[in-house]
Amino acid sequence: MSVAATRRQSLWSKAAWKLRRDRFGMLGLAVVLAHFVAAVGVWLGLWATGWGDVAGGKWDSVSSEHWFGTNLIGQDIFQRSIYSISTAFEIGLIVAVLSTLLGAVLGAMAGFFSGRATDEFVVWLMGVLDSIPFYLLVAAIAFALEGNPWSMHVAMISTFWITTARLVRGEVIKLKGLEFVEAAHAIGVPEYTIIFRHILPNTFHILLVQSTITFVAAIKSEVILSFLGLGVKDGMSWGLMISESTFEVLAGFFNNFLAASVLMFGLVMAFSIFSDALQDALDPRQVS
Amino acid sequence: MTTSLKALTNLRWLPAALMACLAACGGGDDAGNSSPGSSAGLKVYRHSMDESPTSLDPVQASNVYANHVLINAYDTLFSYQYLARPYVLKPNLADGWPEISTDTLTYTIRLKRGVRYIDDPCFPDGKGREVTAADVVYSLKRHFDPATRPQGAWLWQGRIVGLDAWKEAGSNYDQEVEGLRALDDHTLQIKLVQPYPQLLDTLAQGYSSVVPREAVEHYGREFGIRPVGSGPFRLVSYDTARIVMDRNPGFRQEPVDLAAEGYDPATQGQYGLERIEGRSPPFIDRLEFQFIADASARWNSFTKGDEAQYTTIPNEQIDRVLTSKHPITLKPEYAEKYFFYAGMEAGFIFQTWNLLDPEFGYNEDPERERRNKALRCAVIKSFDWPARNDSFYGGIGTIFPGIIVPVVPEFDPDLSRVSVTRDVAGARKLLEDNGWNAANLPMFTFGTTANVLNRLMFEQFRAWLKDIGYPPEKVVLKQYATFGDISKAWKQAELPWVVKGWGLDYPDAENTLQLFYGPNSSPGSNDSNWRNPEYDALYEQSSVMLPSPERTEIYRRMNEMVIDACLTATGLARTRIHLWHKDVIALPDREIVGGFFLKYVDVED
Repeated sequence: MSVAATRRQSLWSKAAWKLRRDRFGMLGLAVVLAHFVAAVGVWLGLWATGWGDVAGGKWDSVSSEHWFGTNLIGQDIFQRSIYSISTAFEIGLIVAVLSTLLGAVLGAMAGFFSGRATDEFVVWLMGVLDSIPFYLLVAAIAFALEGNPWSMHVAMISTFWITTARLVRGEVIKLKGLEFVEAAHAIGVPEYTIIFRHILPNTFHILLVQSTITFVAAIKSEVILSFLGLGVKDGMSWGLMISESTFEVLAGFFNNFLAASVLMFGLVMAFSIFSDALQDALDPRQVS
Repeated sequence: MTTSLKALTNLRWLPAALMACLAACGGGDDAGNSSPGSSAGLKVYRHSMDESPTSLDPVQASNVYANHVLINAYDTLFSYQYLARPYVLKPNLADGWPEISTDTLTYTIRLKRGVRYIDDPCFPDGKGREVTAADVVYSLKRHFDPATRPQGAWLWQGRIVGLDAWKEAGSNYDQEVEGLRALDDHTLQIKLVQPYPQLLDTLAQGYSSVVPREAVEHYGREFGIRPVGSGPFRLVSYDTARIVMDRNPGFRQEPVDLAAEGYDPATQGQYGLERIEGRSPPFIDRLEFQFIADASARWNSFTKGDEAQYTTIPNEQIDRVLTSKHPITLKPEYAEKYFFYAGMEAGFIFQTWNLLDPEFGYNEDPERERRNKALRCAVIKSFDWPARNDSFYGGIGTIFPGIIVPVVPEFDPDLSRVSVTRDVAGARKLLEDNGWNAANLPMFTFGTTANVLNRLMFEQFRAWLKDIGYPPEKVVLKQYATFGDISKAWKQAELPWVVKGWGLDYPDAENTLQLFYGPNSSPGSNDSNWRNPEYDALYEQSSVMLPSPERTEIYRRMNEMVIDACLTATGLARTRIHLWHKDVIALPDREIVGGFFLKYVDVED
């Protein structure tokens, strides 16, 4: 590769090149993609359509008909596990996208207007929300929304944006003193255009990494909340399956517990590995 | 090194010193912190239950947990025979059966003489006085005093002459009630507004425990945690984890007559009950209730061997513990250590339509109302009782048609079982014939308390409805945080479908037939809000009749009316498998009032 060609490489292409060479990272990505394909199939109605049907007897063991056996009322555990992947992805994606978006906007504004009223308000809001225990906040929101199926999403988004906002705020404070921002000011570009067209795109590497971390956190939180009865109201989730298994294991039946745990562990672990690899790939100090 | 220093550095003396210290410190603790060690020398029986009572005031004895304690701390006029099944009443504090006037409106009940309350600071000089008929009058009046927040007034409301008026007049205890009088210290007279065949059963409830006025006035609000009675045991300590009661040394001497208690050697001979024949209860020094909500923790406490001596088998353990379900037999390793008794509950599980919901019940449009009935019938036909039994009741419950439960004498074993037989094709045809299809079927809200088993019940039900063509997306779950929340929704007729269990207050089919009596509609016990003049007239007619073939005939006719109206998917009576250690001489039970057997428990030395 010539020197000129090397000079033309951007942060993104360097990161992509580095990421492709991270074998664990790519393995993680493959596992995540496999889960994603499973989720897309559920959304398209290609498989796991009978997750709610009573298709067998009580606690049937593993067979060609029921790959992971059946639960207490004869529902197919394999179909329920696969359906739960779509639940995890749905919650993970919605929470990751919205909380990242919210964190980016509020963090960027706080950073750009640092020391002014906007910044003080956002920092105060982050402090207040941070001080409320997460599960207490979820319970309070669930109570306020009277069993609304989106209460869990609202609770997660209302807390998960804070870390992103803190990171973005710091980055924006750093960026706003650079020459390209001063140049934009000098030629009379409006402040909000500077924030959203010139500064925020330069925080995308942070947002990308942060959204993957949020995705994993959302999945884990969903499982815990569903286990506690505060999460998924209508549908299926690994948390609900593990909740079902609490009395099944006493009867010596572990299929629900194993199916939900293994799939959840696989996705969370794979996403975490991928997230780490992405973070390494996008770290400017390592990329350069 | 000197000898004394050697002694100090050699710490072999330390455990002995600690034990001596602990023994000395524990000596003064009589508040029930007993363990097998500290209760050495005492005969202790430890009974485990899944919940604790919230109050020990008889006017608030609304559950089986409170009754277990109350009827052992207090006396009731009547009781149930220890071993007779079906349940049979017997005099307890009453000295024999009452004299009943020919019009069955006046009951004269004589009390046993010499029965005394336990010694307590509420009495002059702390010495318990004799129980009198005036105490019974006072105890029943308390149910009509709003200040006591009573929960059992429904047992006597509109039944006793002048009692409701006494309440209306301000509940002045010094004011006499015409229908509830103490003729002398040992004679009570009750005058009824109309015949009330279940009156004596009501006088066996924990609600009718006889309390001394001095104790209520002395302890005030604390009376709910300081029972002062004349029962076989006296309370030592009470918290949400444990209640400890000690034998009442002054309890009257009444030797056990097993034959009079309904003893059946053929079915009960293996429990060693002959050893209590001719002896006066109570036989144990201390009775401990352990309240352990979690079934697995309760099971562990029982099987550990040195804690709870009684439990029921959790559903998830049934397959592990039993060799056979029909008949019920234990695996050898359990049979070797424990006695068991499989008893059918005096009650049932059922699910009722709320007819106030115009989508499923009464409707301004008669044609729609007719179609609604067809829809209700179709849903009931979709119900798979054997599957429900297998999944949630260990496969050992008894499925029966109608609302007359198997433990009462009026139960009809020959009644058609069509209403409890799943018929998917029939349900589909019924829907089709009445113009129902996936597009026009109404939204169905299934309300339940938020826990995993209830959620699975919902999913099972939704799957059955799918089988008859009810779209799953039209069957939605509504979860309530607590039983109180959903109970409120039922009472306000907010839900179309009420999933409930009902435990009999007394062994008479009237207690379940009243669940569909029009005037008992929400917020009363009639969750269906069904109002059928013919049914109501039959109920009123039978409610003043003594047990007889004529009354049974009316009961059965009412039962069939409920089935034909497609009001309820019913029913299942659960079988509880009671397990107790082999050193305990007892036949445990928790049905009807619950806890009468505790007086007769003995523990081998």
